[in-house]
Amino acid sequence: MQHPIETEAGFVGHFHNGLGWYVYPTHRFKTITLQAFWVNDMDPATVSLGALLPHILKRGTVSWPNFTAIQQQLESLYGATFRADVGKIGDKQLISVSLEVIHGQYLPGKPDTLSASLEFLDEVLNRPQVNSGGVFENEYVTQEKELLTRQIHALINDKGQYALHRLIETMAQGRPFGLRKLGRVEDLVKVTPESLYAYYQTVRKSSPFVLMAVGDLDPDVIATYVSTHWNGHRSELVKIQPYTPLNREYEVIEKQPVQQGKINIGYFTRRTYASADYPALMMYAGILGGFAHSKLFVNVREKESLAYYAYARLDAALALMIIGAGIEFEDYPAVKRIIGEQLEAMRQGDIDQQEMHFTEQAFRNDILSEEDVPTQLIGRQMEKLVLGGGLSGEALIQALESVTVPEIQRVAEDITLDTIYFLTTDQAATGGDEAQGE
Amino acid sequence: MTNEVIGEAIYLARLSSGLTVAVARRPGFKKVFATFATHYGSIDNTFVIPGTEEPVTVPDGIAHFLEHKMFEKEGGGDVFNDFAALGASSNAYTDYTSTTFLFSSTSKVAENLEILLDFVQRPYFTEANVNKEKGIIEQEIRMYLDMPQDRLHSNLMGALYQHHPVRLDIAGSVESIRTITPELLYQCYQTFYHPSNMVVFIVGDVDPEDIWRQVERNQARKKFAMQPPITRPPTVRIPRVEQKMPVSAPLFMMGYKDTQVAGSGDALLRREIAMGLMWQMLLGKGSPLFADLYQAGLINERFHARYSGGTTFGVSALGGETLDPHRLESWLVERLLVEELNRDDLARLKKKEMGEMIGLFQSPEDLAYAFNNMFFRGIDLLSYIDVLSSITLDEIQEVRDSQLQEQSRAVSLILPVANSND
Repeated sequence: MQHPIETEAGFVGHFHNGLGWYVYPTHRFKTITLQAFWVNDMDPATVSLGALLPHILKRGTVSWPNFTAIQQQLESLYGATFRADVGKIGDKQLISVSLEVIHGQYLPGKPDTLSASLEFLDEVLNRPQVNSGGVFENEYVTQEKELLTRQIHALINDKGQYALHRLIETMAQGRPFGLRKLGRVEDLVKVTPESLYAYYQTVRKSSPFVLMAVGDLDPDVIATYVSTHWNGHRSELVKIQPYTPLNREYEVIEKQPVQQGKINIGYFTRRTYASADYPALMMYAGILGGFAHSKLFVNVREKESLAYYAYARLDAALALMIIGAGIEFEDYPAVKRIIGEQLEAMRQGDIDQQEMHFTEQAFRNDILSEEDVPTQLIGRQMEKLVLGGGLSGEALIQALESVTVPEIQRVAEDITLDTIYFLTTDQAATGGDEAQGE
Repeated sequence: MTNEVIGEAIYLARLSSGLTVAVARRPGFKKVFATFATHYGSIDNTFVIPGTEEPVTVPDGIAHFLEHKMFEKEGGGDVFNDFAALGASSNAYTDYTSTTFLFSSTSKVAENLEILLDFVQRPYFTEANVNKEKGIIEQEIRMYLDMPQDRLHSNLMGALYQHHPVRLDIAGSVESIRTITPELLYQCYQTFYHPSNMVVFIVGDVDPEDIWRQVERNQARKKFAMQPPITRPPTVRIPRVEQKMPVSAPLFMMGYKDTQVAGSGDALLRREIAMGLMWQMLLGKGSPLFADLYQAGLINERFHARYSGGTTFGVSALGGETLDPHRLESWLVERLLVEELNRDDLARLKKKEMGEMIGLFQSPEDLAYAFNNMFFRGIDLLSYIDVLSSITLDEIQEVRDSQLQEQSRAVSLILPVANSND
């Protein structure tokens, strides 16, 4: 029923001397997606500056001097989606600015939305609003510091994310990958318009920079923009430092007024995305807890009714695996036991043909489906760039399908339990606060 | 259904069983996304079983419970595995007015579609499998109870509505789901999962006629009694509700209940579009009021204002994190009524809406959600662009006057517990 209407070569482009661009030309999408990245090391001295910078860049440019003018410009660009934020891969902080706009050929009058978008992106990256002293507006910096501080504190509102972060922080023991991409309040308070502007200039001139684009567009347009607007002698990407374990079966229990317990367990896997047998590790984690047919879902949820969700997932950069579930407080020992049993089953090679087949198919579906979403295509390409290789697309599907049970057992043997984190209730009996009307 | 301005079409067919099948083609897409949805959600807790006279009332949360149980197969095993065997992923969700079953796959579309059609039309409930599900759904409910944004919204609906079941949580409560039995599930199933109350929607690189023929063949193998339209008795406030939770800063949400619920079809679409434009003009990111609130430190970038509705309810909800909920509320109440509405803003926001409508067709999940939601209310999704372009400034003003009524306003707050550690 499906018939390809075009052959696609995937991304074209290159990256060297810390500067690059990649374009995925396709007729499939009605939008053009542009995303620019600066890549920096997660460093306590700069991580908060890096987290704050995108917020300031959103406040105003030379042509669109305030937030309202920027937003109205985006509305005029047929509701273009504009984001400026930070991401994290391993011990790298990614500052990114992106724009997704409807391609002009689908709009009345066929406006050139690509040129308008590149111009907009360039304004945001290279011509931010500055005051008469030549630095960022003090008022903007003060306001955005305050809002970012609140955002950092708001982690506690999302119990799943909170538990996950506390686990990673515990495992990191002060190493850079344990920092949050949003930075730390204690560093943020020290930021001044001058220090932030100086940081911006350094990043703009020398941090590794890459521009990605997906849509019906000519790669030369992007190549020309990058070569004419960006300094070609920049810092090279530094390889990500994978995890080295400091804990062994370390347990942390924290109490809060919550209705549900969150168990999160961290394991060291010894393998990153670039490892030759990473596909075997993907199969391992997939069979264990990647899908609705996986061992954790079946045994924790379907057989024992102990959870609504239970998952295992890999950190491809750090060589970690995380298992998580939301459970009844008193079921903590039972859930720990069942998770342990499932890991043991993996080590014993207790994996049937159906589990292998379902997991291969599920990965195939996931990997191909990503190709229908421009931002996921960009995310995958960026990950590949920062992690320094690894398979993707059809090649990854093939590699997953050739993995054998003994190969999965081989990676299973290397997996060690590092840290268990459990968020539980601070009350003896359950209950909590009910909504009260006045 | 077609729209020439944006060059999109949705191919619709209504089968003899009453089932509607709709297809949106996406040439070149790798993934096919399919939904099978029933016009049955959490608010349908009182209804008349076809062939009887008296309305029955069923436990809160049963529509969502039923959604979970549809995945169970006679003789054990579950449907997730059938999809997994074909490399598809499947899921389902329940909202106030509908229940949707879905799969996405990059191969074997016909086989997957067959599974979707069959499992949704083959219920199997036993005492044991129903009781087993209670533990799982109890954990799902407890997960929501720990989510401040979810509580904020739910509490607001509870404050706005005294009787309408939209005031209740979609999943029900830990107590209400304990009373659910196989018999009750069958009762709801027989009433609401009739083909005439359902729609199949498929997005991807597929041929609409192939899909129609396949669904027709599948349905011809099954017997459905004729069913008259389902009777849903009409269901028709506290001004302020507060809850304490371990949050870092107060969460604020203010709502206006729409007292002129317009029913269905074009009138409803028109009101919804006008309402959407009004909120963007008043409080969108490009509005002066948004800029002033942001400048004053009362809101952050995630502050939002939007209207949403079904055929029997409609609500405007606006909110976000704030350090000073009282000051934010008084600014809003004062300025929303007097902000200037002008033609330039309206023209610009129409461009934005148009771009977003075109972009919608690129996201199968969002397109299916929008299509199903509008279909059950008798709205043609592709008439959106034409209605949008014909909305006038006067209409926006009228909608503002009718929506911003003090007697239909309520506020929901989530406040930090004093000893929260962070």
